[in-house]
Amino acid sequence: MLLDGRVVSDAAAGNIFLYVSPDESERRYLVDSLKIDEHTLASSLDPDELARLEFEPDHVAVILKRPRNYSSADAFVFGVASVGLFLFADRLVLVASEDGLLFEGKRFSKIVSLRDMVLKILDHAIAHFLEHLRVINAVSDSLEDQINTSMQNKYLLNLFSLEKSLVYYLNAINSNGKLIERLRNNLVKLGFTPENVEYLDDMAIENTQCYEQAEIYSNILASMMDARASIVNNNLNWLMKTLTLITLGVMLPSLVVSVFSMNVKFPGMDHPWTFWIVLVLAAASAMSVWFMGWLRKW
Amino acid sequence: MSHASAMRKVTVLNSAGLHARPSLAVAQAVRRSQSKVEVRTERQRIDAGDILQLLSLGATPGTELTFTATGPDAEQVLDELVKMFTEQFGLCGEAG
Repeated sequence: MLLDGRVVSDAAAGNIFLYVSPDESERRYLVDSLKIDEHTLASSLDPDELARLEFEPDHVAVILKRPRNYSSADAFVFGVASVGLFLFADRLVLVASEDGLLFEGKRFSKIVSLRDMVLKILDHAIAHFLEHLRVINAVSDSLEDQINTSMQNKYLLNLFSLEKSLVYYLNAINSNGKLIERLRNNLVKLGFTPENVEYLDDMAIENTQCYEQAEIYSNILASMMDARASIVNNNLNWLMKTLTLITLGVMLPSLVVSVFSMNVKFPGMDHPWTFWIVLVLAAASAMSVWFMGWLRKW
Repeated sequence: MSHASAMRKVTVLNSAGLHARPSLAVAQAVRRSQSKVEVRTERQRIDAGDILQLLSLGATPGTELTFTATGPDAEQVLDELVKMFTEQFGLCGEAG
């Protein structure tokens, strides 16, 4: 419930209800008792659903997008989730597929009405997207460093995951933008105060900036992907070249020694210096590879 | 030239563990410092300045992490990290 401008937990007198992955009995209560549309309820749990605003006889349904909680098992795929906000005259029902909605901190202060609460949650989702974009950028930088010295595909695949995440984010942020637009077009119907309108205007700007930032990161990642793939190829080529030079350096002395090891008679084989001459020839052949490499800047 | 080294133990208090935003905060704090900072769990030891390794650590709530720092500001950076963990990175109760 709201107390002194803040959200406090009160099971008895609460007017803000949060349902995380509601079970069948909770769903029946929401649909049958609160008259929440079944499709809209399903939308609030579906990560692929777009953000939207719907007016029902006794409540307003808001579906908004927020970043999904990231865990190490996600392997650099940052997904999005939906949240359903059902605003009644006397209560606000929140439905989400996973936990992680925050009602504490500076952002959730000075809340006078349930409408303020709806806007704060939307604002928080935008800020959450911005913070995740910073994380994606940092991860991308770190992956770039790894790719510069790597010959493995896994870092490239991680970059592909990030690229995919940014597409999800762009879609979700754009969808939230459309929701804000609809909220602004229905100010009177929703009963927003001038302060709410001002707050909504600020959010629209912040959401646009967030979208542009995601777009820039997405474009950079997409345009640099080919270059990064080439770097990985090039690293492998360098390794192959080094290995080839080592093979050549070992092969030529072996050839010299092999020729003189043939089980036939050859001139000067009884000479006392023959052994040393063969060794010098072998060493000279190895040196010739090194000299060729140095001369041609291999 | 020898540098001071220091060690601190912290417990992950965030309900979602050491997830995306805390990992970024840790990596940024370490990169801002002039010290080399490592994190140890029971199973692995990683570079605390690398967000890739932090995200892959999979530290769940209640995991005990041991930070060791070597460098001119080892104590300061570890104090900053302990503060972050104690304050749950300003994300009390929040995931993601």
